[in-house]
Amino acid sequence: MQTHDPLSAAFSALADPTRRAILARLAQGEASVGELARPFAMSGPAVTKHLKVLENAGLISRRRAAQQRPAKLEPAALKAVTLWLETYRQLWEDGLGRLDTYLADLQRKDG
Amino acid sequence: MSPKPALGAGHEVTIVRVFKAPIDLVFDCFTDPAHVAKWWGPTDCVNEVYAWEARPGGAISLRMAGPGFDHVMGGEFVSVDRPRRLVFLSKAFEAPGGGWGIVNRNTLTFETVEDGTRMTSHILVERAEGALVLGALGGLEMGWNLSLMRLEDLVGELTA
Repeated sequence: MQTHDPLSAAFSALADPTRRAILARLAQGEASVGELARPFAMSGPAVTKHLKVLENAGLISRRRAAQQRPAKLEPAALKAVTLWLETYRQLWEDGLGRLDTYLADLQRKDG
Repeated sequence: MSPKPALGAGHEVTIVRVFKAPIDLVFDCFTDPAHVAKWWGPTDCVNEVYAWEARPGGAISLRMAGPGFDHVMGGEFVSVDRPRRLVFLSKAFEAPGGGWGIVNRNTLTFETVEDGTRMTSHILVERAEGALVLGALGGLEMGWNLSLMRLEDLVGELTA
């Protein structure tokens, strides 16, 4: 659906808690499919499915070496998502600042 | 920047704020269109509220205009539980063929505290179509500190 939309693919990938947990593990360093499957008591193919989603979203890359195809985090991609979220935080903080002032004005009029 | 905080954030933003006002008034500011028109949006934003129906399934449509920006925010209310909880979807950047570029789920909870009302806002990005949004943003300046060029570069890195 959104294969050419990196930001959307990243958000879709991040929407799954297991994938977020996989990313958290990869933040500590490269890991093989076996190493990733262990904490979830998940099968290799199940983990591989998640890794494919993460790879398509540009959040991880996987080495061709060996059967286990170790995965590693791609920080640039997460940075894009984080930056995007920061704009939201800024917008909301800004808006809530306006609400603060508005509430003060409202109460001053009544008081 | 360590990747760990970014992973914790994932696709959501949480903001907690205490307002020096009673809970009912704060809740009204989010549900009464007359109030919303006066404070919604960033600094210098002027609003025209077309719809703000605070009930499950109620429509949201408001035009936000300011220095360098002018767009319509759409959406709908999901649940309204006065005065403690409010959930609504906000949608921005409508595509020419229909559909929205950004869809966020906003969950606001309110509680009375010593100084007034504590509000916790939890914003979940359900959808963000990068290309569409970047095209629409163009030269927007909504008081964001973010450099759009930087974001574009980073999105470019994703596809490289």
